[in-house]
Amino acid sequence: MARESRPLDATPNRRASTAEPAVFTGRRSILQTPGSQARGAQRPLGLSASGRKVAPPTATPHARAAFRTIDSRRAAIFTPHRARRRSVREARDSPRDFLLSLGKVLAKTTEPIQTSSSSPGDGSRGSASRRGDDDDDPETTLGPMGMDYDDEDEELPKRPRLSLPIDEDEDDSDDLMPHRSVVIDDENFTMQSIEMPRRAFSEQPGGRLSMNSTRMSDFFNTNDMLHSGDVGNETGFFPTINMIDEENFSMGADLASPERLEDAGRRDTGQESDFGIQVPVDLDENTFMIAPQVQDSPDRYPLEEEDGEKEEEEEEENEPVYEDYAPLVDQRSDSYDGDLGELGDILDLEDEEAADGGTRQFDEETRTDILTAKRAEHRSSSKKKGVNISKHGIEYPSLPPAVVKRLAQNFAKMSGAKGKITPDAMTAIMQASEWYFEQLGEDLGAYAKHAGRKTIDESDVLTLMKRQRQINPQTTPFALAQRYLPRELLQDLRMAPPAPSRKRKKAAAGAEDEAGT
Amino acid sequence: MPGQKLYPRATVKKIVKAHSNCNVSKNADVLIFLDYMLFMQNLVKEAGIEAKQGGERGITARSVKKVTANALAKFKG
Repeated sequence: MARESRPLDATPNRRASTAEPAVFTGRRSILQTPGSQARGAQRPLGLSASGRKVAPPTATPHARAAFRTIDSRRAAIFTPHRARRRSVREARDSPRDFLLSLGKVLAKTTEPIQTSSSSPGDGSRGSASRRGDDDDDPETTLGPMGMDYDDEDEELPKRPRLSLPIDEDEDDSDDLMPHRSVVIDDENFTMQSIEMPRRAFSEQPGGRLSMNSTRMSDFFNTNDMLHSGDVGNETGFFPTINMIDEENFSMGADLASPERLEDAGRRDTGQESDFGIQVPVDLDENTFMIAPQVQDSPDRYPLEEEDGEKEEEEEEENEPVYEDYAPLVDQRSDSYDGDLGELGDILDLEDEEAADGGTRQFDEETRTDILTAKRAEHRSSSKKKGVNISKHGIEYPSLPPAVVKRLAQNFAKMSGAKGKITPDAMTAIMQASEWYFEQLGEDLGAYAKHAGRKTIDESDVLTLMKRQRQINPQTTPFALAQRYLPRELLQDLRMAPPAPSRKRKKAAAGAEDEAGT
Repeated sequence: MPGQKLYPRATVKKIVKAHSNCNVSKNADVLIFLDYMLFMQNLVKEAGIEAKQGGERGITARSVKKVTANALAKFKG
């Protein structure tokens, strides 16, 4: 009925695609006839039995094909389950059937071959044993390898499983074992060679005189790093938790080292630097936390050597708590002889220690007395509020906390966080800025001296900012000044730095830089 | 606020002078402080991120300490 309304060319295709469901179409057509009829009455050309649109006779071949595919899909949806499943199965099974039939064919011809005679005797790999089989069989001595493959199809899977896995495991273990040990050493060296050029020699943890206190931190950091490299992560992580929880660790101590730690970590452990950076910090917190003196005087001591020793002393005094400290030092000195050469003064100390061995501690105790006395002097002098002593022995005031706090709050607000900063965080920030200025002063001083000046110039600062990647062709110092200086609440301050003069100086600085470098 | 100084210029000069053992030219301290502000911004931003990751609200000493090393390394000349 409705089917009659279908165009002639569409009908056979549809039937072909849904050959099986055709049985049921009678029912369906009964149900759907009225609607389709009604619709068919309206649009006699466009509707099929199920009320589907059928390609109009005027449709292009592509359109007709599209209609056909749509129809077949719908038909598939409407086909009863059993039929649909069967059809799907057919589509799915075809490759499997092929394999099955192949297997059946092969099963007749293939015969299981007893490999027991050859394989245990050979005890070697597949190819050798296969040749052994050939030798055993008088017929196949002349036979080509292809014959072997045909005959031994069944054999092959077995043998490799017996012999190969074992060998492979051995191979793997052989490969891996040397790899790790080698990798650590090699990468240390390569990392060193890569990292070395980045900093001037004088700036390396040992050689750099910048932070007197840092020296000790370097000392301990390398220690820790070495230890961690030798023993693994364990040392780093357990103390961490405790340390973090405890709020009382000294600001000066644990913060002093991180930068150095990072460097040391990169150089010493290579790939492990990822966690290495963190571990040492934590360890430092450990080691330093105990020393209450550090808190009192986070300042720098005039003499570098003394500083290092003093800090050592502090460590030593606290030693009872960390009895394992001495062994750590020994380990480090043993394994990192190569590194010691690079690290300069600190390393000398370490060498001494290594040479001394057990006596080191006693020596240090004696040293400790002297040093504690000196430190006491320093502390008394530095206890005056806000007065610190640089490594050059010059007293200097610290930045007023109010200023730092205001800055920090502003930036915190700018970065989306709440402007609230806890007092603890404030002390940490103060400490960080303290270190920052120390680092900055040394860098600037080095630049100025390199340029043969006794005065730190704007050009030095610009060079520094360039090296810090704060200034680049896209961001000029002016843009930065415009963005930050005025924005910092203070219009008058923006006026205070005379912009034009700075401009001139900047140009001059650029020229100098080019000439200098 | 408006009357407030952004920072004590003399203090900054003294600090840098003490650390570098060099004199600081007349206006270099402005740039120095600009750099310091960049440092602070970096530090505070990183600390805020760190704090957020650590599930703390607001910047804490822990977060600051954790990012100090990186910030200092970033601003090493």
